[in-house]
Amino acid sequence: MDTGADTGMVADWETLRSLVGLTGQPTIAPVAVSADVVSMWCVAMGVTDPAYVDGAAAPPAMLDVWSMVGLDAGIGATATTDDPHHRAYGMLSEAGFTGVVATNSDQSYDRLLQPGDQLTRHTTLASVSDRKRTALGEGHFVTTESEFRDHAGDRVGTLRFTVFKFRPVSGGPGGGDSGAPSPERPRPRWNADQAWHWEGLRDRELRIQRFPSGRLVHPPQVTDPATGEPAGGPETAGHHDWVVASGDATLHSWTVTRHPPHPAFPQPNVVGLVELAEGVRLVTNVVGVPPERLAVGMPLVLDFHETHEDVTLHRFRPVVPPRHDRRRPADEVAVGDRLPLTPIDVTVDQVTGGAVATRDPQDVHHDPAAARDKGLPDVFMNILTSTGLVTRWIGDWAGPGAVLDSVRIGLGSPTHPGDLLTLDGSVTSVADGSTIEVAFTGRTERGTHVHGTATVVLPDSGPTSASGSGG
Amino acid sequence: MLTNARQTAIVGIGATEFSKESGRTPMRLAVEACLAACADAGVDPSQVDGMSLFSMERNHEIEVARNLGIDELRFFSMVNHGGGGGCATVAMASMAVHSGAADYVLAYRAFNERSWRRFGTGVAGHHTGHEADDVSYSWTSPFGLVTPAQWAAMFATRYMHDHGATSEDFGRIAVADRRHAANNPAAFFHGRPITLAEHQESRMIADPIRLLDCCQESDGGQALLITTLDRARDLAQRPAVIGAAAQGVAGGQWMMRSYYRDDITGLPEMGVVARQLWKSTGLGPTDIQTAMLYDHFTPLVLPQFEEFGFCGPGEAKDFIADGAIEIGGRLPINTNGGQLGEAYIHGMNGIAEGVRQVRGTSVNQVDDVTNVLVTSGSGVPTSGLVLTTEGP
Repeated sequence: MDTGADTGMVADWETLRSLVGLTGQPTIAPVAVSADVVSMWCVAMGVTDPAYVDGAAAPPAMLDVWSMVGLDAGIGATATTDDPHHRAYGMLSEAGFTGVVATNSDQSYDRLLQPGDQLTRHTTLASVSDRKRTALGEGHFVTTESEFRDHAGDRVGTLRFTVFKFRPVSGGPGGGDSGAPSPERPRPRWNADQAWHWEGLRDRELRIQRFPSGRLVHPPQVTDPATGEPAGGPETAGHHDWVVASGDATLHSWTVTRHPPHPAFPQPNVVGLVELAEGVRLVTNVVGVPPERLAVGMPLVLDFHETHEDVTLHRFRPVVPPRHDRRRPADEVAVGDRLPLTPIDVTVDQVTGGAVATRDPQDVHHDPAAARDKGLPDVFMNILTSTGLVTRWIGDWAGPGAVLDSVRIGLGSPTHPGDLLTLDGSVTSVADGSTIEVAFTGRTERGTHVHGTATVVLPDSGPTSASGSGG
Repeated sequence: MLTNARQTAIVGIGATEFSKESGRTPMRLAVEACLAACADAGVDPSQVDGMSLFSMERNHEIEVARNLGIDELRFFSMVNHGGGGGCATVAMASMAVHSGAADYVLAYRAFNERSWRRFGTGVAGHHTGHEADDVSYSWTSPFGLVTPAQWAAMFATRYMHDHGATSEDFGRIAVADRRHAANNPAAFFHGRPITLAEHQESRMIADPIRLLDCCQESDGGQALLITTLDRARDLAQRPAVIGAAAQGVAGGQWMMRSYYRDDITGLPEMGVVARQLWKSTGLGPTDIQTAMLYDHFTPLVLPQFEEFGFCGPGEAKDFIADGAIEIGGRLPINTNGGQLGEAYIHGMNGIAEGVRQVRGTSVNQVDDVTNVLVTSGSGVPTSGLVLTTEGP
């Protein structure tokens, strides 16, 4: 929400504004493009495309990784050069806007980078907004525009980048989570007839009751409905037999619980009636599928999550197809084609490993205490990792020979370890016979984490080399 | 074959006003409704010697009997499973008076379901023990499936998928009910019909169930007085003969969560009821002039037409098209406005409307009524009855 031109918190607002439009000294990237750094980035993002894993070229989305100072520099957000944008960051920090989150990144690429390329970055302070209020608190949006040039002086890519410098709200995350205890999710109750099922879930296995006749039944019963025999057979009544579900299932029916909202559940909460491959049904939660993409018959796969100290529940997520392993020429793509729904577990490893692999020194991506000091509940994913994951997912769908031409990313709610980040998108244009645009969102239970568009140059249908020459 | 078919009658109906806030206790509502039913029939409350209740009734028969000044109750029963038991209270009363267990039996429902405890908020936080009843909710509540609308929605999604029904088809039930309610001064939604477009614009409650697919919790009381047909002929009103009244549970039965049957788009327990009613009365779908079909959620009205044979499985969307279920159509339903339009009194008000149709006193009177079908809760262990003008 715009609070107008109230800029009183910044001591010398006029000086700050006078920096806008100025370009700093060119900076030489601290590392040259190298197969080793590419390899580490590919591991962090899950890239398996041999065009990159083998080290012949760097994934385009690594453009500004080369100019990042890296975690080992240990200087965090407080780089103090005389460059206009660093001076702007510094003046805002001094005024109390110590928090920083990236909000937008628009990258475009002129060519693929190869090992040995040594980049130089030219950065202009493009704008500093009036004071704004967001869910994180009050602050200023600062936008820079950078060009990256190779040793010959030729431009290889551009980056328009916006951060929000904000005053952290004390006492917790800016998202309004006051820390008040929320009502507990209804817990399952069991007795001796079903305890084995719930014990199995705690061991992360989904157990289906099996009777001596071989019949599988869920929910459990004390006798075989076909034969009247007690569970476990006449000699062993009280002992329960089961099979462990393979985890493969299809969606038989579903609903989205909206009103009245129950505070222990995310909104919207998807409840599915799934049919297991073994032939029995069970009610569960479906995660990683936006309500508009739910469909009877869709394949799902088992997952588990702890909901209480002594309770683990099953839940199901969409099946993610493997990387497309053949060329996908543009004439096989149409506007409206959907990319596969892809849920990604946001873990500590993913967040901190992503920060390291993108050479991002910000402490809020690897130090939980630092993140809390800056008003967030935990470390959160940096924009370069979000960009890496989105572009990897698009590349896996696009298949061999497809080359990313540009990507525009906007960040919404931060994503933290424990979240499930689900990527969803569709083709929004097919132009020039080979260039397509994909619009995407990445959502967690907290809301939309990332949204944007990417342009990709698809290969010809002919059998030429998979590692293209760039757009 | 039920031996009490056409041997008993509903002779009195009585209700309080229906509202969102009655301003008095449920016990007062129960007593007012019972007294009104006795007055309607011309029976002194002291003659009542039986009470027939269904579960979730919190005004127990002994409390009401004390208030009515009844010295002896010779018959009293409580049918399980909430809204499924409405017509079953009449079945129990009919069997009781036919067998001689009692002479005059009151059946009733009275509550402040809106201004006191709202029924639609569900069962989260309930069922904290370890008996079978508690455990049965462990397969649904931990996943956030806790309200009646949510339970019903799971059937509705699959019904749409298997039979090609749409949200508009559900909406046609709501439009019909609200059209009828608009003519009914006693209805919650008197003078407030809706269009299909308004239905489509109403917000989602539990996909695919929208706000206007749902009945609204109500305050109010409704009572019925049942006796033998012989006695009925000497009372104040034209008897609504109980052609037959029956209960039904089918294989794989759960309370609104019968999700493990091969086909979850039907209501086989309603089929159990239907077969008994048709067999005992010798009637069939073409003999019915109007029907009061349990309508807490519109999607569960459609399979009732199918279970009773008004149309084939999955064909209800075609059967209800073109105003067939509205006044003037081939089978007007819920002429009081139903639970979507008049009030949600767990179906007891629908039985009372069936009585008015037989008497010829409905505000939306159907021409030449001889037989009326009434059903109780759908998706639960249920019951139904046929009311008729004809005695033996």
